[in-house]
Amino acid sequence: MRRLPRGYLFTVLGIAVGVAGLVALGAMAERITRFIDGGDRFVLGQISVAGEGMGMGTGFTAGGLLRASKIEQIARVPGVAAVQGQVMLPLNPTTSQFLTLTQELIMGVDPGVAMPNRQYRELPVRHGRFLRPGDRGVAVVGSDFGASRGLRVGGRLELSGRAFEVVGVLDKTLTAPDRFAIVPLDDGRELWLRRDPLLVQVFAGGAGAMSRADLNTGAAVAWADGVDPDALARRIQAEVAGVNVTIPGELSRLLRESTAFFSALLFGIGVLGLVIGGLSLSNTVAAAVFERIRDFGIKRALGATDLQLLREILGEALVVSVSGGALGVGLALAVGALVDWRVLREGQQLFLFSPRLLGFALVFSVILGGLAATYATLRIVRLSPAEAIRRGA
Amino acid sequence: MVLRATGLSKTFRGPDGRPVPVLDSVDVEVKAGEFVAVAGASGSGKSTLLNLLGLLEPVDAGEIWLDDVCVSRLSRRAQCPVRGRSIGYVFQSSLLIAGLTALDNVLLAARYVGRPRREALPAARALMERLGVAHRSGHYPAQLSGGEQQRVAYCRAVLNAPPLVLADEPTGNLDEGHAGVILAELRGLCRDRGASVILVTHRADAAALADRTLRLRGGRLESEGGEGTT
Repeated sequence: MRRLPRGYLFTVLGIAVGVAGLVALGAMAERITRFIDGGDRFVLGQISVAGEGMGMGTGFTAGGLLRASKIEQIARVPGVAAVQGQVMLPLNPTTSQFLTLTQELIMGVDPGVAMPNRQYRELPVRHGRFLRPGDRGVAVVGSDFGASRGLRVGGRLELSGRAFEVVGVLDKTLTAPDRFAIVPLDDGRELWLRRDPLLVQVFAGGAGAMSRADLNTGAAVAWADGVDPDALARRIQAEVAGVNVTIPGELSRLLRESTAFFSALLFGIGVLGLVIGGLSLSNTVAAAVFERIRDFGIKRALGATDLQLLREILGEALVVSVSGGALGVGLALAVGALVDWRVLREGQQLFLFSPRLLGFALVFSVILGGLAATYATLRIVRLSPAEAIRRGA
Repeated sequence: MVLRATGLSKTFRGPDGRPVPVLDSVDVEVKAGEFVAVAGASGSGKSTLLNLLGLLEPVDAGEIWLDDVCVSRLSRRAQCPVRGRSIGYVFQSSLLIAGLTALDNVLLAARYVGRPRREALPAARALMERLGVAHRSGHYPAQLSGGEQQRVAYCRAVLNAPPLVLADEPTGNLDEGHAGVILAELRGLCRDRGASVILVTHRADAAALADRTLRLRGGRLESEGGEGTT
């Protein structure tokens, strides 16, 4: 590695600021992209079914109660591998009862049934354990959910006036489960009853043949290997009366359409980051080369050829770009960590510094630094040595 | 080495875009071992003449020959080794590179002619020792006095033992003592190594050391004087 010439400190700092801007904007774009992709992977990994009508309307379905008999009928449809009844409730029902991408959810699942989602066969547990069959009064929390409340394994969590012991904290998935509190299905049903006076009245009034097993906001359906999930979803809709079935492919398309604004925003952020970072970096490197025009005139007077000068300047540009790029990446990481530490209190994460982003930023700074240095050098070597010395005086 | 220049002309563009002739059909011949002074008022074209002879500036008209080679007609690339090996240039203001130490500034002359640093280092140290700046080897130009800077610049100009040395008022910013050291060195180059030296100067004592003096007026060679004539 060449020794960094004296006087390049501000050039390195200038590049660092440009690269830091690029990396920070890129990290925000990465974060949103990962979130949208995660949601897309989720909906493509299972068929979500809810009861007909408008019930709680939570989770990934928008239907009414899905009774146990319907779940059994679904399980008998050819091509269905497994069905998991679920209860999905918004943590704070006063804000919204409808699905949003960032809401906190209580999810009741039956740990005795394997996770039906093909993309999430099991949720990654960072600390503690996942739910086990027979568990009651325990919860596994998503990373953001836990971090925003300072929850650790063994801690206590109160949901709708009922205490739960935290037995596990999930690893970060950068998508919906980060904001979940997952409880055993029966506990989920109980929480639902506590929250919904109508349901309580239905049960108090006899409720016909309805039992607690009928309290499902929906079900996740897994398909057998080789089965077309969209075709199976349509078959379920046709063969099981009184259910709302989401077609994975259609839901994915709808999700993409509904997040089209975010995609456009991401593109804009990306372009903005490239333009700001790129202009800052190339301008800094080119200015640093032009600033030394007198030195290059002297060197040419001493016999330096165009090629020797170009090699020399490119070597310096490489050192300066790599140093500035690395410093910029470090700066962005530091600022990102600071901001994320602050916003984590609200259960949010703004930045995702993926290896591909950091690698891109470094390669980008080296290539752009090299191009800017080459451009500046080619401009300078066109001058006679005397002219270069005069201009640099 | 014999330097021969014929019909040298150079015109620059003024701020208003109009051509400003600086040199007009100047002929110069300097033999090996000859010390020639160039005198003239400010703006008479002395520095431009030296720049043309040193291949630092392209000629508008005329030719420059070093021995049997018409160097002014060489390609830009081919002129580089001529500048590096055959011509040493001492600028009026020392023109050292601020980011390099005094020693590295001297060794810069070796780098561009392909001389390995290890090979050139003893010569560079010896030169700096002789000029009294060896103890400043590790210092940067900003840490040197004007006299020291000029002596370091002189070391750089002669490190490759060029047969032609061009000095553009190298003593202009120096006191008597330091000026004397540089002038004695230039004189010594002609006497001891047979190098040709062209010195642009305003100083009568400097010109007095020369074998002859060329006087420029308005871009034209006015007269040639004999030894000590200014």
